[in-house]
Amino acid sequence: MDFARIMTIAVSMIFINNFILSKFLGLCPFLGVSKETKPAVSMGLAVIFVMTCSAVITWSIYNYLLIPFGITYLRTITFILVIAAFVQLIEMVIRKFSLALYRSLGIYLPLITTNCAVLGVTILNVDDFFIQGKPIPGSFFFATLQAFFAGVGFLLALIIMSGIRERLELTDVPPSMQGIPIAFIVASLMSLAFMGFSGFKF
Amino acid sequence: MKRLLHEFTKGITIENPTFGLILGLCPTLAVSTSLGNAIGMGAAATFVLVCSNTIVSSVRRIIPDRIRLPAFIVIIATFVTMCELIMKAYAPALDVSLGIFVPLIVVNCIIMARAEAFACKHGVGASILDGLGMGVGFTLGLCVIASVREILGAGSIAGKQLIPGFQPATVLILAPGALATLGLLIALSNLMKSKKSTCRACRKGGCG
Amino acid sequence: MPDKLIVSTSPHILGCDLTPKVMWSVIGALIPAAIASVIIFGMPSVKIMAVAVFTCVACEALIQKLTGRAVTIHDGSAALTGLLLAFNLSSNVPFWIPLVGGIFAIALVKHAFGGLGANVFNPALAARAFLLASWPTHMTAFTRPFAADAVTSATPLMMFKEGKVGTLVEMGISYWDLFLGRRGGCLGEVCIIALVCGAAYLLWKRYIWWQTPFSFILTTGSLCWIFGARGYFQGDFLFSILSGGLILGAFFMATDYVTTPLAHTGQVFFGVGCGVLTFLIRKFGGYPEGVSYSILIMNAFVPLIDRYVKPKIYGTAKAVKG
Repeated sequence: MDFARIMTIAVSMIFINNFILSKFLGLCPFLGVSKETKPAVSMGLAVIFVMTCSAVITWSIYNYLLIPFGITYLRTITFILVIAAFVQLIEMVIRKFSLALYRSLGIYLPLITTNCAVLGVTILNVDDFFIQGKPIPGSFFFATLQAFFAGVGFLLALIIMSGIRERLELTDVPPSMQGIPIAFIVASLMSLAFMGFSGFKF
Repeated sequence: MKRLLHEFTKGITIENPTFGLILGLCPTLAVSTSLGNAIGMGAAATFVLVCSNTIVSSVRRIIPDRIRLPAFIVIIATFVTMCELIMKAYAPALDVSLGIFVPLIVVNCIIMARAEAFACKHGVGASILDGLGMGVGFTLGLCVIASVREILGAGSIAGKQLIPGFQPATVLILAPGALATLGLLIALSNLMKSKKSTCRACRKGGCG
Repeated sequence: MPDKLIVSTSPHILGCDLTPKVMWSVIGALIPAAIASVIIFGMPSVKIMAVAVFTCVACEALIQKLTGRAVTIHDGSAALTGLLLAFNLSSNVPFWIPLVGGIFAIALVKHAFGGLGANVFNPALAARAFLLASWPTHMTAFTRPFAADAVTSATPLMMFKEGKVGTLVEMGISYWDLFLGRRGGCLGEVCIIALVCGAAYLLWKRYIWWQTPFSFILTTGSLCWIFGARGYFQGDFLFSILSGGLILGAFFMATDYVTTPLAHTGQVFFGVGCGVLTFLIRKFGGYPEGVSYSILIMNAFVPLIDRYVKPKIYGTAKAVKG
C-alpha cells in the first residue's frame, strides 16, 4: 500500500479539503452542535462511524449493483435511501444494546441522515475512485479511507469550534454579531489558517 | 387571496431561507462564487422545491405517519435526479460548475424543512406558492452573496469584467471569503431587523 | 444584589494601567527592528509602517466611537497590531495593502469578537494570511536588501523551497548575513540582532515568558536538523532558526497575551505545536514559510489548551497524601 498516497488523502481530507471549512458540507449540524465540547465530540464520532460505514455500503452497491445494471443515474436516490435506512438500523441497534451509548451518541444519528456531509462523501468517492464506470486499483480501500478521514476532519473542526465558542460566551460580542455571524467569522478565520496546508506533497 | 399571496412573499422577506431561517447554508456558500452559478442553483432548487411541495401536499392524507420522512426523501430524490439529468443534457457547463451540489439538493435543509413544516399540512395551492416563495427567496439570497463575492473577489459580474485596474481580493472567491461574507451579511440583516424593531417599539410606546 | 462575580477571558491583568505599559513596552522593543528595516529597505519601509499603524489606530477609534464604547487607542494595542502587520509585509507592496490589512485586522479579527482581550486569532497574522490569499503576487514579491531600485529577488527560504540551492554557500550568504539582515524578506523579520535585543528586554522585564519562544524555536530547529534535506541529522539548525519569520513570530506574536495559553505548561504545548507545524509546512507544504500559519492554527486550539491545562494557583500546594 502506498504510504504517501494514504498520507496525502489524510492531509487532504482533514486539512486542505476539510469538509466544513473548505467544502461547506455539514454546516447545519456544525453550527447547531458546536456550542459545547461534549456534544461536539459525540457528534463527531457518530459522523465518523456513519461516514465510514456508508462509504463501504454505497461503494459496494455502486460497484456490484448500479454499474452492472447500467442504472448509475439512480445513484442519488439509492445512496440517500441506503444512508437513511442504515442510520435508522444503527439507531435501533444502539438503543437496544446500550442505553448509555444511545443517550450520548444515538440522538445525533437522525441529524446525520439529512446531512450534506455523508451523502457528499459517498458521491465524492464515486467521482474520485471510479473512472468511466470502472473502479481504479485500490478503489475500495481508498474510498473507505477517504470517508474515515473526512469524518476525522469534521470532528477536528467541531472540537476547535466548540472550544472557541465556549470562550466567546464570556466576551462582549456586538449584538448583531452574536450567535451565527460570529460563528461564521470564526470558521472563516479557521479556514484561512488551514490554507497553510495547501500544496502539501509527500 | 391575500393570505395566499402572503404564502408567496414570506419566503422572500421575513422567512427568507438564507437570512431569516438560516437554512440551506451548504450550497449557499459553495455556489455563490458567481452570479451565473447562483441563478442556476436557485432555479434548480426552486424547481425541486415546487415539485416536491406539490406532490407531498397532494399525497399528504395517504402517507402513513411512520414512513413520512423516507417517503419525502424518495419524492425529493426523484425530482433531484430529474433535475440532474436535465442539467447534464441541456446545461452541461452549469452542471460542471455546480458539481457535487446538484445531487446534494436532495439533502438541502430548505426542501426537507418545507415538506415537513408546510406541505404536509396545507393544500396544494398554498404549498406551490410556499415552494415558489422560498425558492425565489433562496435565489435572491444566493444572488446577493454571489454579487458581493464576484464583484469584490473577481472584479466581474456574471462573467463580465468591471472596472479595469481594480485588483480584486481573491480570498472572497475562496472558502474563507465565503464564510466571512455570509457571516457579515447575516450580521447586517440582524442589525437592520433590530433597528426596525426598536423603531416600531418607539412608535408604539413613544420615545422618552 | 449586584453581580459580585465577573467572568472574563485572559488577560487577567491586575491593575488597569498595566495594559498600556505592556503594549508600549513591546512597541519600544520593536523600535530597533523598525530602524533596521529602514536602513535595510529604505523609505518604502517608513511608508508601510506609517500607513499600517495609522490605519489600525484610526479604525479602532472609529469603531469605538460608532458603537458608543470608550475610545482606547492610547493603550497602544492598535498601534502594536499595525506595527506587527507592517513587519509582516514586503517592502514593495502598494500602500493599499497595509491599509486593507489594517482594517481587516482591527475591524474583523479584533472588534467583531468584542475588542481587546476578546479576539481568538492574532490580528496581524490573520491580516497577513488574508492579504496573502487575496493578492498573492504582491505579497510574495521581495526586494533585494540595500538596493536603491526595487529589484525583486527570492528570500533564502524561497530559494530553499525551490530546491535549486541547498546550502548557504550556494545561496551566496553567510550566517552573519542572516543575523544582521543582509537578505530579502519581510520588513521586520530580517534583522535578527535587532529583534533579539528587543526580545531580551521584554524577557528581562518579564512582559513575555521564555517558555513559548524557546519551545517554538527549539522544536523547529531540531526537526529541521533531524529531517534535513540531505539526510537524517544533516539539516542546518542555525539556518532554519535564523531564516524566515521564526524569531519575529516566536518572540513577538506567539507571546501575545490574548491569543496564547495562560499556563506555562500550556505555553510549552503551544510552542511545540507551532514548531511542528512550521517544520511540516516548510518541508512538505506549498509555502516556503510556515510561521504565520502555524501560530494561527495553534491560536484556534488555545481555548482547549487553556481548559485542560490550568495555571498553578498562586499560594496553593499539592495535597499531601497519607
